[in-house]
Amino acid sequence: MAAVSATCVRFRTSSAQLSIRASNQIIGKSASLVSLGWTRTGVFPCIRTSRLQICAAKAETVEKVSEIVRKQLALSPETALTPQTKFSELGADSLDTVEIVMGLEEEFNISVEEENSENITTIQEAADLIDKLCDKK
Amino acid sequence: MKLHCFQRAFFHSSPSLIPVQLPAPMETHLWYMKPSEVKSESLLKEYLDILSPCERKNVLQMGGEELRKSALLARALVRTTIARYQINSEITPRSLKFRKNIHGKPEVEWQYSDDWHPPSLHFNISHTSSLVACGVTVNSQIGIDVEEKHRSIKHNVLSFARRYFSEHEVQFLAAISDPQVQRMEFIKLWTLKEAYVKALGKGFSGAPFKTFTIRSKSVPEEGFNKLEGSSLKASEIVVDSFDNPTVLTSNWQFLLLELANSHYAAICTEKHGASEGDRNVPVKLTVWKTIPFLEDECVSGTDAVKTICGL
Repeated sequence: MAAVSATCVRFRTSSAQLSIRASNQIIGKSASLVSLGWTRTGVFPCIRTSRLQICAAKAETVEKVSEIVRKQLALSPETALTPQTKFSELGADSLDTVEIVMGLEEEFNISVEEENSENITTIQEAADLIDKLCDKK
Repeated sequence: MKLHCFQRAFFHSSPSLIPVQLPAPMETHLWYMKPSEVKSESLLKEYLDILSPCERKNVLQMGGEELRKSALLARALVRTTIARYQINSEITPRSLKFRKNIHGKPEVEWQYSDDWHPPSLHFNISHTSSLVACGVTVNSQIGIDVEEKHRSIKHNVLSFARRYFSEHEVQFLAAISDPQVQRMEFIKLWTLKEAYVKALGKGFSGAPFKTFTIRSKSVPEEGFNKLEGSSLKASEIVVDSFDNPTVLTSNWQFLLLELANSHYAAICTEKHGASEGDRNVPVKLTVWKTIPFLEDECVSGTDAVKTICGL
């Protein structure tokens, strides 16, 4: 099996579907964005058992986290969210942050230890932790 | 030179604050503001003016006018409140410096010389978009938390409690059949737990909520409610810590209030000289509603401050 040197491959398409074959496995389908993370050996980090979908690399995670944050803080659609936006800057207090963490745990089927919850202050930090926890599965 | 009414000239260069005496040991002062009542642009500018450059930057980084305002008022409240106690003649709201302890809890960094020793003044702030509060004590760690009474919780109360609260607290909440009452007891419990970890100075991750139980002492099923004709003992709130049984937890006392008819406020302070027979040392609480530089109103004993438990 050829070693893959790139650590990340991303595709974006506005058309409905994109499917990719590699190593005789169907990787994923997504309407608008497919992100693939490849480890050096070409083994995929993790596969959800409920759907044939990979725990995606940062961009999709970031998007999902942003959605959860928007919902929890009831942000207006105009409110700009960047991965670096701090929850506190959006008006989240400690109860909101805890609810956000809970929402992330439910969405990604992970468990965040209390010591780590303090490190989740931005969307990017949440996405990074989620990917790390997903990788471990 | 400003040409407004002479009141402005009065605090153009040295805004006036009504001085107050430091709280006695076992006494707590609570100061609060309602952002909706502060409308004057020039007053907001005065507040911005007393902040440190770093605080100003943080305030302006908040997303949206309402958030910026409550962040600004929180800092202005802390600075003006501490300055009121006139610790020495050189302290002004602007001159105060703050730092964080090793766990990240803010404290005053006193600028002092060899022959002056600062008092052991402790403070803690809490804010929601509709109320900003600052508690002050002497010689006693303090933590406060305020929440809107009608705050919405996105998750189911019991799911949330199972995830974050102790087993005892889950059972307490699960036993409440009315969902409205359950939600309000949840919020009261949350404020008490927050106030406790803030008093400890360790923050949420330093003292995970699952590792301690807060409960009403004598009549746990009644929850955190004002008991008619109850004695001091009956309404006492206590904390049991699984990590540090007995010794540390008997050092803390709690007050739970309803503030301005709109918020629950929990205050946790250190108890000194705590021993088996000493448990019911009464706590004195004085509450002011303030708009710094403009007006202060002592609201203790009025409808604005309703004790739920602990006094």
